[in-house]
Amino acid sequence: MGEDKKQKFSAEEMEIKIDYENIDVEEIMNQIKRKIASRPAQEIEQQEEETRNDYRETIPPPLTSPPGGLRSKMRRILLKLMRPFAPLIKLMILPVDEELRETVENLDYANRRLDELTERLHQEANRIGRLESKIDLNHQLVNERLELAFKDLGRAKEYTKLLHQLTHNLVVEMTKLKIEKDHLKIQSRILEKDLAFLNRREKEVEKKVFS
Amino acid sequence: MKIAFVVQRYGMEINGGAELHCRWIAEHMKKYYEVEVLTTKAYDYITWENYYLDDIEEINGVLVRRFPVARPRNPMRFGRIQQFVFHHEHKIDDELKWLEEEGPLAPALIKYIDQHRADYDYFIFFSYRYYHSYWGIQTVPEKSILVPTAEHDPVVYLRIFKELFSLPRAFIYNSEEEKNMIQRVANNSHILGKVVGVGIEIPSSWPTQQVLEQRGIASDYLVYIGRIDENKGCDKLFQYFLKFKERTNYPVKLVLVGSTKLTIPHHPDLIYLGFVSEEEKFAILQGALLLIMPSFYESLSMVTLEAWALEKPVLANAHCEVLQGQCQRSQGGLYYENYAEFEETLKLLLEDDKLREILSQNGRRYFESNYTWEVIEQKYNYIISKLEEEKENK
Repeated sequence: MGEDKKQKFSAEEMEIKIDYENIDVEEIMNQIKRKIASRPAQEIEQQEEETRNDYRETIPPPLTSPPGGLRSKMRRILLKLMRPFAPLIKLMILPVDEELRETVENLDYANRRLDELTERLHQEANRIGRLESKIDLNHQLVNERLELAFKDLGRAKEYTKLLHQLTHNLVVEMTKLKIEKDHLKIQSRILEKDLAFLNRREKEVEKKVFS
Repeated sequence: MKIAFVVQRYGMEINGGAELHCRWIAEHMKKYYEVEVLTTKAYDYITWENYYLDDIEEINGVLVRRFPVARPRNPMRFGRIQQFVFHHEHKIDDELKWLEEEGPLAPALIKYIDQHRADYDYFIFFSYRYYHSYWGIQTVPEKSILVPTAEHDPVVYLRIFKELFSLPRAFIYNSEEEKNMIQRVANNSHILGKVVGVGIEIPSSWPTQQVLEQRGIASDYLVYIGRIDENKGCDKLFQYFLKFKERTNYPVKLVLVGSTKLTIPHHPDLIYLGFVSEEEKFAILQGALLLIMPSFYESLSMVTLEAWALEKPVLANAHCEVLQGQCQRSQGGLYYENYAEFEETLKLLLEDDKLREILSQNGRRYFESNYTWEVIEQKYNYIISKLEEEKENK
């Protein structure tokens, strides 16, 4: 896929860690879920809602309205009229013992469904328990890392202070050296003048001695 | 040994679902056993109207006996009954009425099974939810093997099927999740059952470049292959993909292959190709970055296996336990439950070439060790030999 064409996502967004030597899809998905869970719930819900709205806008409207139909209208009216008599009709067409058996069967079925749902609930609870322990572990790891980071930060602070003092001392020393240098320069100039005077005197003395 | 495969529809024109699964298995098992197919004359899976004319025909070397559908399905009436059965307290009779309406109502097929039970050693029924399986298994439980192709939908909880699931001699499941679900519903773990699935027919070659040029697909794309309807989660896929495009502006398109029952949104990045030939399908799949499988209900998803066979990673709907389980077992794809996960997983897959490559290789390995025809045939033979052993021990 062409690199130039891609819209790059920031490093912060793509922080999923993948062990390419030993790919674990479940682990990748857990990381993605954790990443999403760290966002505000409102944002996620809003995104879901927006996807539905955006989609509705792209669907072309139907060409015709759905047909009503006289038959369905009549049926609706008839059902409405019969509603008050529904229990009576039911009682007449369904013998009580059969209804009882049906109810027992329904209850049994409902019980089985409940058992299944309870089992699922347990599974979910276990999963949440596992997740919580993982979160605790991660929390502990983060704390340990933070402690180390703070220690490093303290050391860095002390080191910076020392560097600051060293710089100050260096500046003072450099100033002293500059003064010393200027002083030596003046002395050397005086010595040069003395030497010149002595040279001239030497020449004059020589002239007088040998003349 | 003579084996009858019993399925709701059968023919070269039917190119998906349990029917194609059944045809491939029948064609592969004919080298081990004498194989016949017992089916209806229906082609349309909504109305089951009689379409095929001949009572007997041969398809790819397999003898096919067709039986007429006595009454086509009235979708409106079926919808009303289904609504009642799924959402209200009801009697067993109501469920049987639902089954009759579900169809394909072919009493002649059941009569044939009853009259010719001695002619066959085993009847392998495909798809538990239809008339032919329910009444067929009741007719010859001692010789029946059921390939349920069950999805986790409300049908599996109907009471009539709880009894049905305790009748066959053996089950051939499509996935671990399907096996667990049926055993949980019917408490039938004592019945012989094996997770088998189906092999994949891959054409010898396909002209990827040529097809992409012909279809005008020039950029990177994701692909969805299958029926485009709500049950397959396509409306959600459109919502999520359009939102993904809006938020990320990633230069990727979504190519849709298959017949549609949905209005596809107008968007330049949604490319609808309609129904394509097998070669074209593989060419398009080969050219894609990955396959998206948004379906909520799958018992196997053959196209997912095809993607893995072609070394393509998969992004699947995690609400479908089977797809999620397949991704985890194969390590060949990621999955999503909501838009946030869809965006994260898709971004990760598009951005990380290495991850895509490793997932693809894992998918291919999973396919090779579970879904090549040698493996599938061996598993079917194992079930038959186990049943034969049981018969001898009796």
